[in-house]
Amino acid sequence: MKFIKTHVSLIFPLVAILLGLEFFIVFDRTTDTYQKSLQNGYSMMVVAKDEMSIDDFQVWDRHIEQVIEVQKNKILERLEMNENPENKKSFEASLPNFYSLKLDGYLTLDELNKVKVNLEKSDNILKIESFQSTYQSKYELFAFIKFSFHTFIVFMSIIGFFLIVKQMEVWNFLHAQRMKVMEIFGASLFLRSKVLMTMAFVDAVIAALTTSIVFYAIQNFWIKNSQMEIVKEKINSVFMMTDILILLFASIILVMIAVYIVIINVKEE
Amino acid sequence: MSDVITANNLTLSYDKEEQIIKNATFSIKKGDFVFITGASGSGKSTLLKSFYGSLPVNQGSLIVGGLDMVDIKKDKLQELRTHLGIVFQDYRLINEWTVERNVVLPLWIAGYSDEVQSTQAERLLHHVKLSGKEKKYPLELSGGEQQRVGVARALAKNPFLILADEPTGNLDDYSSNVIWDLMENACHQLDTTVVVVTHRIPAVFNIRYRHFTIDENGSVYEIH
Repeated sequence: MKFIKTHVSLIFPLVAILLGLEFFIVFDRTTDTYQKSLQNGYSMMVVAKDEMSIDDFQVWDRHIEQVIEVQKNKILERLEMNENPENKKSFEASLPNFYSLKLDGYLTLDELNKVKVNLEKSDNILKIESFQSTYQSKYELFAFIKFSFHTFIVFMSIIGFFLIVKQMEVWNFLHAQRMKVMEIFGASLFLRSKVLMTMAFVDAVIAALTTSIVFYAIQNFWIKNSQMEIVKEKINSVFMMTDILILLFASIILVMIAVYIVIINVKEE
Repeated sequence: MSDVITANNLTLSYDKEEQIIKNATFSIKKGDFVFITGASGSGKSTLLKSFYGSLPVNQGSLIVGGLDMVDIKKDKLQELRTHLGIVFQDYRLINEWTVERNVVLPLWIAGYSDEVQSTQAERLLHHVKLSGKEKKYPLELSGGEQQRVGVARALAKNPFLILADEPTGNLDDYSSNVIWDLMENACHQLDTTVVVVTHRIPAVFNIRYRHFTIDENGSVYEIH
């Protein structure tokens, strides 16, 4: 019971922090797909007097990544005009040029407005439709989810951090006397802190493995059977084997800093 | 006989304003048994602490076991301490360790094998009349028994110097006599230097051994 109590009181906050860290990594990795699909699904419609190339657009704004010309006959087809071919041809010739612009990233509304303002500086451009309202609702929802998630992770980590500080006080209470006695008898810093270091190291490994198992289970038993297409597209990137190393590294560094602080604060009487 | 401790105009203090020990000059030779007495708060324990480097030297010089204690390096101090035997009034045993493990702490620190540690533990516990209590924990023993464990620990590595701070302060007469006998034997049989801080010297020891006293001004005098 004492063993469990001693270990769980460190493993629990460590797992909380590591879960936060891994959720952060996984969330950014998986929503990257969604962010890209939002980006790919979004285009700006531009009407120009004369023909324009990608270079012409990029002169006005560097965010323009791809320019797709909308064929005029397709526009006419959409309009379902039943004119004779000659009328249709002359009408087609009188039409301006239509372009669908793809951007180089997932831009904020301010950045999007800036792109629009930059393009409007061109005399050749007659009209710009940025479809902001659709973009805005998707963007804001996404931004809100991302912000909420990050806030939750930060709070979870802060609580975990305070629990570790509490655990450091417990360590100080449990180990200080032994370390002081050993110091008086000439034990090196390593020898004095060996017990605490070993215990903390084992706990760090257990916490990293526990977190890894949780994410492995989420990936293989939950997401695989779910309908979350956004995440399912990249199912293998939810939890990667390299994440175990990241978690182990973070966990060990964290506990070793905590152990070191405890050790250097043990002063001989 | 070579000097084990040499103090020259030694001044000690916890802060700059108040000096506890002032300009003490003395030497303690190999095989000496020395009592240091004085009123409460006179600086007896402070002086003893300076011998094992727990308190830095403010002024003057202090040589212990050939090492200059002024600005002594950490590794040198650690090395020195592995050759000392220190006994405290409050025993300072490691309560979560067995008696056996406590006794062989200095051997464990020095990296002796488990076999040597085990043999030594048996011998030392027999010596301090605690055979059969190897697997007990300190809090399961009486005060006198705990102090005997403390003395056994101090003797574990055959130190050249034993420093004892009020070793019998909390003990009854029987336990006190056992502790004095153990220290006297170490001094006579192993030629170990013993420095004991106490406020009450046992009557039989009073004339036999060297006796330093510290007055209320922090001056150290040798009585005999």
